[in-house]
Amino acid sequence: MRLRAAVFFILGGLLTWGILYAQKPFIDYPSTEEHAEAALPPDWERDAEWTRGRLKYTSSTFEHPYPNNTGRYGWRTDYPLGDRHTLQGLMRLTRVDAKSVEQVVELDNSSDIYNWPFVYGVEVGHWSLNDEEADQMRDYLLRGGFFMTDDFHGTQEWDVFMEGMRKVFPRRPVVDIDNKDEIFHVIYDIDQRSRIPGAQFIYSGIPWEFDGFEPKFRAIYDDKGRIMVGICHNVDMGDAIEWSDDPRYPENYASLAYRVSANYVMYDLTH
Amino acid sequence: MFEFLFKYPLSIYRQGTFIFLAGWPLWLMGLGVLAAAGVLGFLIWRQSSGSARMGVVRRTSVWVLQTALAALLLFLLWHPALSVSTLKPQQNIVAVVVDDSTSMTTNDENSTRKEAAEKVLNGGLLKALQEKFQVRLYKMSDHAERIDKLDQLTANATATHIGDTLKQVAADASSLPIGAMILLSDGADNTGGVDLETLSEIRRQRIPVHTIGLGRETMSHDIEISNVDVASRALPESRLGATVSFHQHGYTGQKAKITLKEGSKIVASQDVTLKAEGTEQVETVLFNAGDAGVKTLEAAIEPFLNEENVRNNRVTRLVNVDSRKPRLLYLEGEPRWEFKFLKRAVEDDKTLDVASILRTAPNKLYRQGVCRPGDTAHPQVNGKCTEMEDGFPSKVEDLFAFDGIIFGSVDAPYLTKNQQDMVKQFVDRRGGGVLFLGGKDSLADGGWAKSVDADILPTVLPDRKNTYSFVGADVELTPAGQDSLITRIEEDPAKNIERWKKLPYIRTFQDPGEPKLGAVVLANFIPKEGGGVKRPLLVTMNYGRGRTAIFATGGSWRWQMLQPLADMSHEMFYRQLLRWVVGDTPRHITGSTPKSLLADESHVKLRAEVRDKTYLPASDAVVEAHITGEGGQQETVNMTPEPLEQGVYGADWTTPQAGSYIVEVVAKRGTEEIGRDTFTFRREDGIAENFHVEQNRDLLQKLSAETGGSYYKPADAQKLGKDINYSQAGITVRETRDLWDMPAIFLLFLGIRAAEWLLRRRWGVI
Repeated sequence: MRLRAAVFFILGGLLTWGILYAQKPFIDYPSTEEHAEAALPPDWERDAEWTRGRLKYTSSTFEHPYPNNTGRYGWRTDYPLGDRHTLQGLMRLTRVDAKSVEQVVELDNSSDIYNWPFVYGVEVGHWSLNDEEADQMRDYLLRGGFFMTDDFHGTQEWDVFMEGMRKVFPRRPVVDIDNKDEIFHVIYDIDQRSRIPGAQFIYSGIPWEFDGFEPKFRAIYDDKGRIMVGICHNVDMGDAIEWSDDPRYPENYASLAYRVSANYVMYDLTH
Repeated sequence: MFEFLFKYPLSIYRQGTFIFLAGWPLWLMGLGVLAAAGVLGFLIWRQSSGSARMGVVRRTSVWVLQTALAALLLFLLWHPALSVSTLKPQQNIVAVVVDDSTSMTTNDENSTRKEAAEKVLNGGLLKALQEKFQVRLYKMSDHAERIDKLDQLTANATATHIGDTLKQVAADASSLPIGAMILLSDGADNTGGVDLETLSEIRRQRIPVHTIGLGRETMSHDIEISNVDVASRALPESRLGATVSFHQHGYTGQKAKITLKEGSKIVASQDVTLKAEGTEQVETVLFNAGDAGVKTLEAAIEPFLNEENVRNNRVTRLVNVDSRKPRLLYLEGEPRWEFKFLKRAVEDDKTLDVASILRTAPNKLYRQGVCRPGDTAHPQVNGKCTEMEDGFPSKVEDLFAFDGIIFGSVDAPYLTKNQQDMVKQFVDRRGGGVLFLGGKDSLADGGWAKSVDADILPTVLPDRKNTYSFVGADVELTPAGQDSLITRIEEDPAKNIERWKKLPYIRTFQDPGEPKLGAVVLANFIPKEGGGVKRPLLVTMNYGRGRTAIFATGGSWRWQMLQPLADMSHEMFYRQLLRWVVGDTPRHITGSTPKSLLADESHVKLRAEVRDKTYLPASDAVVEAHITGEGGQQETVNMTPEPLEQGVYGADWTTPQAGSYIVEVVAKRGTEEIGRDTFTFRREDGIAENFHVEQNRDLLQKLSAETGGSYYKPADAQKLGKDINYSQAGITVRETRDLWDMPAIFLLFLGIRAAEWLLRRRWGVI
């Protein structure tokens, strides 16, 4: 009996270690937005050199303006269609060998997130990071990970986002990215910081949300002057790309979103 | 014993000629033996025909013994003798050569070797020799020097060159009747032995060299460093290995400490357990090369309290740490994490400069590390850098400006045939290094097997596609990898092996095929799926003047992401790998000397290999070596082309004094400078005699045997007074020495008779 217990204990330990140490399998979470639903692409199982991680985080108690759409599933905004359009665009426009589906990752104290050195976080104006998650995010970024944020707007969401980021990097400044920074030139020269509105623009015609009138491209740099966190504030590239095949959404915004996304990915892979 | 049985020493038999003095023909002896055999056979057969106890076997045995006895008697009748050449008394010179080096001050059992030599000579040998010959005394160091008396021996010479000394003494024999040489020495020669030329010179003059071996053949308590092997050139801050070879007596199983010092600063140390008595033990001590400059490294083993000779516990070596920053070109065919993390791994390495070309989009390139400050070859045009703006270099000069190349996931057809050929020449002729990484467009999947560059690859690539897999794989060092500095991410070798086993699995791997002859597999990968069959992961090979490697993965970036932030194994591995790729890449001119440390030698050979802009041998250059000594004294030496090697220039120079020397070699074509290189060497006096202080009996015995002399222990040396008479050199006469009365024949006679008597007694037929 003792032997059997020991065997189970060892196997259980190995399994736990395996789960913690190895990368987690792909999970196709249900979408929380009708428009963002997407079937798995035929080649979804094909392995590739590069995979886009999508950050699954805990939403804050801050009241969301569109509770029916996202609510506590804020991390799933534009998911998965926005991701898959982004990946298709990346494969079409660049030589990145990208996996056709995203990988949902969590700051869950396992090693999984370290298998995905590029993570995209959306609606981070509604996230909530506890200390352990912040510690892991810091560790992830300093080891070489890259975090791109998108689709959060105005002062209030900025404050919520920064509340989390201050736990990650209490003293690192958040700065506006200079036009000369390679992130705006690595593939495409993007010299103007144009607005990229969300899908609400189709109905409202207003290219901003809340008091987020000016698009902001900010960053947190590491000690060697490389961007670790690319913060796209007051823009909604997720929507722009998700809706890029809808004729009602302006093509110029969609194209710009693809170019900016490609530049961010390429910047990460070259710096 | 030999002399007792055979009347004369073995050396006389070796030297003399066997003859029969009776003058009768030999065939007659044969006929006599046959006749005796016939008669004896007839008689034995007839006498024993009725006896039941004397069967055929017994009769035959008796017949054989009696025939042998008859043959022996006939042999003696023919009067056997030795004809030997002996020295004529009072008309020959005997050269007595006494080792006068400092190793003769070594104390062996209550007396020094010098005292032992004096004891042998004054104990009657010298007197015995002087009664028959003129004796010339010489003392030996790196040459022979005449002395009149033994008290002129000082035992303070800093070198022993037995070959040169004997050659000099033999040269005297060309005008003098030297009949023999006697060498009293411990055989501790600093030049590694007596060369064949010297031996044949002495043999030609037929001078026997008798040797008297002094000193113990093994020390009872001693550790001696026999060699320290360390790269003479290195890149700043690079990790180097000093391979220390040593042996010991009397300390088996004990712990010792090897230290490496630069001046008074200890740069590395390592505890070792001493192996079996007399066994050559090899240990590698790792150290950091430090900043640019000439480093004088002292490798030492801390002496034990009761060690008999502590002067052989330390050895000095020079390392020239270059100030250059080798440049690598990294061509990557697709944006991927391996590209990012490789560049990050080496970005803090001050010794490496990586320029990269990345194919970001089908028709777009992204260059990094180009147009460095001060790059006059690629000036910026309107603020835009033009270096490699069209991609991979298509001119030899542009590609050969690099020291190494890294090919990522890029297919061979991306390069033109000309570029592919340039890559091969880059390794073969330029002497550069090329690293091929695994990837979906790399190696076999990238068509490299069918390119001209297949020749330079360290493996024969598989003849198929789809060799790149996204299945994870564990990594394991091979025995060669366990010894390699490329894969040393922990100082301690045992910990290093374990460290590699604990590395996170690599994300991808690629089957690189089978290693070629001469290739070295440093690490294998073991796939986590599909049976886990080991395949080569890291393979290196030398090709032409350069070197190539395959690192068959695009997924080592996990070593960075999946390990704690402070872990440096990924950085260390790539830095060491890339330093290996470029570390030995030569420039247009490479100066060198065969020995960077002259131990009690003054003569140095300088060598310079000169290549033109495209790294073809430059045989029409004017090459000068500017030598600067420690005191600032300078001398310029013209170097002349070596007749058998294109583009190679040489010069001989004699160092005026001990110390370090810096040599700057400059090559010019007309007024145009091809290049310059700096190297160093050092002369140290008074150290050679500290090593190999045990008696080198093998050398002394070989010297005697090759020249017709004999080896003697000091206790037997007095026999020399008699043996020395027999020589073919000098003024000699032929003498005959009877052999019929030697005890061995008498004993043989008795033995035959006794054997027959014993047999008959046993058979009961007496």
